[in-house]
Amino acid sequence: MTAMGKITRWTILIVFTLITLLPLIWLILSSLKTNAEVFSNPFGLPQEWKFSNYSDAVAAHPLHLYLRNSLGAALLSTVIIITASMTASYALLHRFRLSRLTFSFLLFGILLPVNALMTPIFFIVNMLGLYNSVMGLALVYAGLFFPLGFLIVKTYMDTTPAEIFEAARIDGASFHSIFFRIAAPLTSPGAITAGIFLMITAFNELLFASILTTDADAQTVQVGVRYFLTTYSANYPLAFAATVIGIAPTVVIYMILSDRIVAAMTAGSLK
Amino acid sequence: MTQTQAPVVPGDRVSLSGAWSTPSTHKPTKRAGLPLGINIFLYLLPAFLLVTVFLAVPVLVVIALSGTDWAGIGIPQWVGAGNFVRLFSDPAFLKSLGNTLLWVLVGVFIHTPLCIIVALIVARKPRGWKIFRTVLFLPNIISATSLALLWYFVFHVSLGLINASLTLVGLESFTRNWLFDPSTALGVTMTPWVVYIGFGMVLFLTQISTIPQEYYEAAQLDGASNLRQDWSITIPLIRRAIALQVLFVVGYALRSFEYPFVMTSGGPADSSSTLSLYIYRQMLTANEYGMAMAAGVVTLIVGIVLTAGVFWVLRKAER
Repeated sequence: MTAMGKITRWTILIVFTLITLLPLIWLILSSLKTNAEVFSNPFGLPQEWKFSNYSDAVAAHPLHLYLRNSLGAALLSTVIIITASMTASYALLHRFRLSRLTFSFLLFGILLPVNALMTPIFFIVNMLGLYNSVMGLALVYAGLFFPLGFLIVKTYMDTTPAEIFEAARIDGASFHSIFFRIAAPLTSPGAITAGIFLMITAFNELLFASILTTDADAQTVQVGVRYFLTTYSANYPLAFAATVIGIAPTVVIYMILSDRIVAAMTAGSLK
Repeated sequence: MTQTQAPVVPGDRVSLSGAWSTPSTHKPTKRAGLPLGINIFLYLLPAFLLVTVFLAVPVLVVIALSGTDWAGIGIPQWVGAGNFVRLFSDPAFLKSLGNTLLWVLVGVFIHTPLCIIVALIVARKPRGWKIFRTVLFLPNIISATSLALLWYFVFHVSLGLINASLTLVGLESFTRNWLFDPSTALGVTMTPWVVYIGFGMVLFLTQISTIPQEYYEAAQLDGASNLRQDWSITIPLIRRAIALQVLFVVGYALRSFEYPFVMTSGGPADSSSTLSLYIYRQMLTANEYGMAMAAGVVTLIVGIVLTAGVFWVLRKAER
């Protein structure tokens, strides 16, 4: 490699790394400054580390409720999708008339720009009496993200050797016990991969959360964080602190499980 | 999908409703004729309900009601193609449609090449490449809402990083109100998405790792430079990943909502609006549900046409 090539390569890598990290570092530092210092000293370390911004942010808006709702909707939708994907993948291991058509139907939404469906979904959720509820949001996420989870789980379950099912069947295992004792346990790595991906995707969703909820009892962090911008425009550090709180759950998990998460977020994409 | 064939088990012990009383029909025959058993049906039911209620029915409803005038209450009035005529004479819609297509173009011709370049560099495993991969992927696990807020502050007129940096290096004349300048607002809302190359990079890295090392060794013997190897070996062999990335770009562009919504609210004067934001506004601000549905149909059609286009190009390239 020529010296010139080497310099170019390192420059590109470092530039993109700085673009990624600098705003985040700036955000964290700014969340610990006073409002005046954000303007007077935008780049430096805080002169006085104001950790109280965080408690003030929690006091200003019910962030704990937003977090609870986000986690609830993400967890609930993930559990629903994984369960439905597992049972459907297992059912589709069996050949029957229309099995290919069923498979296509379950997957057709994967390439759909789902935002185009926000109006009908808004009315369907209203008709089901689920407007402004974590349950409603979880079900909508479960429906919209189902094809993504299903593809990962199905691809994984299909790699299970057919002989294993055959042997269990010969031993007299029932339809259900083959599912619970063999198919589901053997597919759990795929289910975990899909689960990580779905949890992060649902936790980070904004559009449907903002059209389907109106009060703090059902609103998520993604919706709530914006209030700091509209109502607390005078106090930016609080908005920064709230943003950090909104980012923290996924970033902390990412720091622990980064390899696993990178694999999960791109899973099923190279099939 | 075709390699596994576990036949339905006859005489199921936990059978519901006694539908398994005729085990003779459940011989493990090869392909044909396993009737749709109750068990299979029950196992498919949750998935079926989810897809029906939240994807299939909404698609039908959005198409059916796109030809109506409806304020959300009362009976929708049939107006035929009226909504579409109105849409295509509404400057805000045309701007949103154009901006969305621009998102696609920028994604394909600026964002994707950046992803490829960084992937090619990281694929040669320079020192610390794993750290670079981890850091560059980081934005993908952070919500677009938070990233949009972050970049709102980056471009903010008085406390933003960009203006502060420009002032710091004496380029004050270049400072401007990025978020509220009609000539920069659209570019500003696209910027975070364009520069966060982590997802595409990992996609390409995964595909590059499947290329046999011998290709590169042979090229090296022939005296081909790294650049030459990347261009002649790697890029042709990752064309499937490129097609996939373009599909993701199309999908993302059609869903682009958070950045314009949080950073500029689509303004000033709709200059940074997108289709998703337009639908949102027709629905929640204007209460024009018929128009919102019609705009939804246009979005679906644009998505289908672009997706089909990508598959068509890929098929041509494979030949």
